[in-house]
Amino acid sequence: MSDTALLSARGIEKIFDRTRALACASLEVRAGEVHGLLGANGAGKSTLSRVLSGQVRHDRGEIFWRGAPYAPRRPREAIEAGIGMVMQETSLAPDLTVLENIFLPALARPGGFRPRAFRAQAEAILEGLGQAQSLPLEAEVRSLSAAQRQLVEIAKTLAMEAALIIFDEPTASLSPGEVERLFDIITRLREEGRGIVFVSHRLEEVFAITNRVTVLREGRTVAASIPTASLTQAELIRLMAGQDVSGGRTSSRTTANGQEVVLEARHLAAPPKVRDVSFTLHRGEILGLGGLVGAGRSETLEILFGLRAPAGGEMRLEGRPFAPHRPREAIRAGLALVPEDRRGQSIVPDLSVQENLFLAHLAARRGFGVGLRDREAEARRLLERLDLPAGRLDEASMLAFSGGMQQKIILARWLLLKPRVLLLDEPTKGVDIGTRRSIYDMLREVAASGTAVLVVSSDFEELLELCARIVVISDGTTIADVESALLDETKLTLFAAPRSSMGAVSSLLAALVAEYGGVAFWGLIDGSLTEGGRFYCLARVGEDSAAEPGFRAGETPLIAATRIPAALSAPKEGFVREAGGSPATLLVPVKSHRGHALGWIGLSLAGASLPEPAPLRQRIGAVIAHEM
Amino acid sequence: MSQNVGVRAAGTRRWLKRLEVRMLGLALLVFAALSLASPFFLQANNLLNLLDQSVVTGIVAAGMTFVILTGGIDLSVGSVLGVTAVIMGLTIRHYGIAAGVGAALVSGGIAGLFSGVLVARFGLPSFVVTLGVMAIGRSLAYIFSGQNSISDLPAAMSDLVYTPILGVPSNVASLIAIYVLTWLYLGFTRGGRTIYAIGSNREAARIAGLNVLGYSILPYVISGVFSAIAGVLMSAQILSVDPLAGTGLELDAIAAVVIGGASLAGGRGSMIGTLIGVLIMVMIRNGLNLLGVSPFWQGSAIGVIIIAAVLIERLVSARTGGG
Repeated sequence: MSDTALLSARGIEKIFDRTRALACASLEVRAGEVHGLLGANGAGKSTLSRVLSGQVRHDRGEIFWRGAPYAPRRPREAIEAGIGMVMQETSLAPDLTVLENIFLPALARPGGFRPRAFRAQAEAILEGLGQAQSLPLEAEVRSLSAAQRQLVEIAKTLAMEAALIIFDEPTASLSPGEVERLFDIITRLREEGRGIVFVSHRLEEVFAITNRVTVLREGRTVAASIPTASLTQAELIRLMAGQDVSGGRTSSRTTANGQEVVLEARHLAAPPKVRDVSFTLHRGEILGLGGLVGAGRSETLEILFGLRAPAGGEMRLEGRPFAPHRPREAIRAGLALVPEDRRGQSIVPDLSVQENLFLAHLAARRGFGVGLRDREAEARRLLERLDLPAGRLDEASMLAFSGGMQQKIILARWLLLKPRVLLLDEPTKGVDIGTRRSIYDMLREVAASGTAVLVVSSDFEELLELCARIVVISDGTTIADVESALLDETKLTLFAAPRSSMGAVSSLLAALVAEYGGVAFWGLIDGSLTEGGRFYCLARVGEDSAAEPGFRAGETPLIAATRIPAALSAPKEGFVREAGGSPATLLVPVKSHRGHALGWIGLSLAGASLPEPAPLRQRIGAVIAHEM
Repeated sequence: MSQNVGVRAAGTRRWLKRLEVRMLGLALLVFAALSLASPFFLQANNLLNLLDQSVVTGIVAAGMTFVILTGGIDLSVGSVLGVTAVIMGLTIRHYGIAAGVGAALVSGGIAGLFSGVLVARFGLPSFVVTLGVMAIGRSLAYIFSGQNSISDLPAAMSDLVYTPILGVPSNVASLIAIYVLTWLYLGFTRGGRTIYAIGSNREAARIAGLNVLGYSILPYVISGVFSAIAGVLMSAQILSVDPLAGTGLELDAIAAVVIGGASLAGGRGSMIGTLIGVLIMVMIRNGLNLLGVSPFWQGSAIGVIIIAAVLIERLVSARTGGG
């Protein structure tokens, strides 16, 4: 890391309509460092990134780039200066090829499109990243996975010879294996002397990859350029959340408490996104639907709400078959949906705030008039409960409101109907931290009054705080249904990893069973829990009743309750035989090549003759190090 | 409740300030300019003439407003007017005036339903569908009429146009009635607000549970029926039906709606605006005639007004941060 600043921004201020997105933000990035830009949702990280990359103009403050004043008025100027951004929601053209996308900015330069030269350059870039084989240059971007698209974005910034690259929440839709690969790439970029800004709110990643961190809170920099090594997680959380917000979750998760089932989904399918989703939702419960972006969670909500036709499976609402064909039918049956994209799916910009609030009411109502009188009292109560000044209702457009205010109105829109089932998709996306709290409180209150609440969120912290139980979806398939008291972010991340990226593990498990018989499995051992150790089974192959370990994929049994307690409570170098004589189990710890613990792979065998453990251990370890 | 009404009134005030008041200003400006330029313009005779000339375009533009509010466009209004008028003329020969008028309105509704279903249910672009209906309608008008004008309409037909109602001729009265009713419908009923919501954000309207399909079809039906009404009044005035009737009317109607401040993307516009748009167009035509300007210049004048109105609207709304 050099000592001179590559980029330094001071006193940046940005106001969107009435919301102050940045109040007094500063950031200093050196060449050859990975600089973490942290903060809670709505703290201004993305806005600051967009200012630096020329997508948004700041109102006040100064930026110096390589010592000279810098104020990009459009992305092109940032690109020409050498600042690139790898976007959260990708900015690629899906119908163009990988190669065309990488050189899209070059189209605006004189010289035109030179496929052969570009091709050679693209190959050199990918080679430099150690990813020569991972991207087919002729493929349409539409056909790529989230991780591959991100690689295209990275290659795109490198093709522009960016000296500073901003990564905005780059791991949101990546599996643990893909995250490792991204970190390798970032490390290479840093070693080449580029400056990296790493925007994230996932603390483990911040500690794994960054050299220094800057923390934003409510649009201001509250900690600038602190060496990561000198911080603890607790200190970082305190910086991000501020003193007043205690980090304590667990306080008031709403549990089902044996209430009756309201909504039940069995083997729902709507390929390609949803393959096999099942869950039960109880009265008065907040259930989380967790998983990575693109795992099929939003699509599942769409099926429930009649926005997407299922190809298979069944739904029951209060015991009766339920198959809505359009949202109106779902709403009449007592469902409500707060969708993810407020601007695209919720706000009607040409209607007043009041009409937006009463939109679902307008739809639910029968009769000729608009009938605002019917729900006036309820509306007033809700607005008061959500701290919304009634005076703002007569404003002509909701677009001038902050994200938090908008979300409160949309939430109130649905609560007016007193739904029996409330579906929420990323309910606090783009919502400031204060409003987040009040939305959480509101949801708890709604659940306590008997509504069943189903929350989809990519923010695992949010799910863990809000939900009593989390159903995890990966590649369109439910793979776990776990009490959130048993989970933390790491475990949730592993459960949520796409099965496709875990192909190496699956094929290893299958190969082991084919060769030795018995049952092979992969999972986490957590001995730190007060009620005794638990095993978190992530995957399992093999049906051999004599070697039955006593758990299936997605289950989280107490170790004492499994059939292989001896092996799981004290893993050894070799096979461990259970007290009854069978089965015998070999457990091998799995580590990524960056040293992250990724659980254990086990092989349980019945019978007296066991294979030699040492070569087996080596084989299991080798596959993981290469493939994850 | 009183508070609620106050809230809505305040909202309406702001809305008026945004849109129609500017257009009303433009209308008054044109009015004043023409009054100064031509001594004949302000004569009572001419003013009544002005309203009389507004009837056909005005009624068709009212239907067009519904379609444009949902983000669509209806190019078929002129030929629907033509074919429904021919149908009316033929029906009257055998079954009398009431049946003839009824047949015209029903066939106008059917034409609108056809377009509406293709657009809303099957997702075809309204531009293309109504372009097709426009061609079909005109072709049927020729076929049904045998390429000849129908000039044997009973003289009693003219009662439809000239019977005075509260001191105004019945065709002007129907224009006013249609604008009052559609204004009330769009502003204060569930259906009207649904049409605005669909045009402004179809996806949000769908998720909120509004009847998006039904209220996407309805505007085309209204537009078809209104075109037929305009055709009835037009034929009653001249006591004859020409298969060419209504040719080019779609452009005048769209122009009036756009001058009235509606957005072709949907969700924004109003009956008051459209009415002002119609009056501006008719005033300019009328005024240029009175001033003896060649009719060949009228197209240019109207074109300039349309573009200027939209340009001013865009510049103003960009400055105030709206839109």
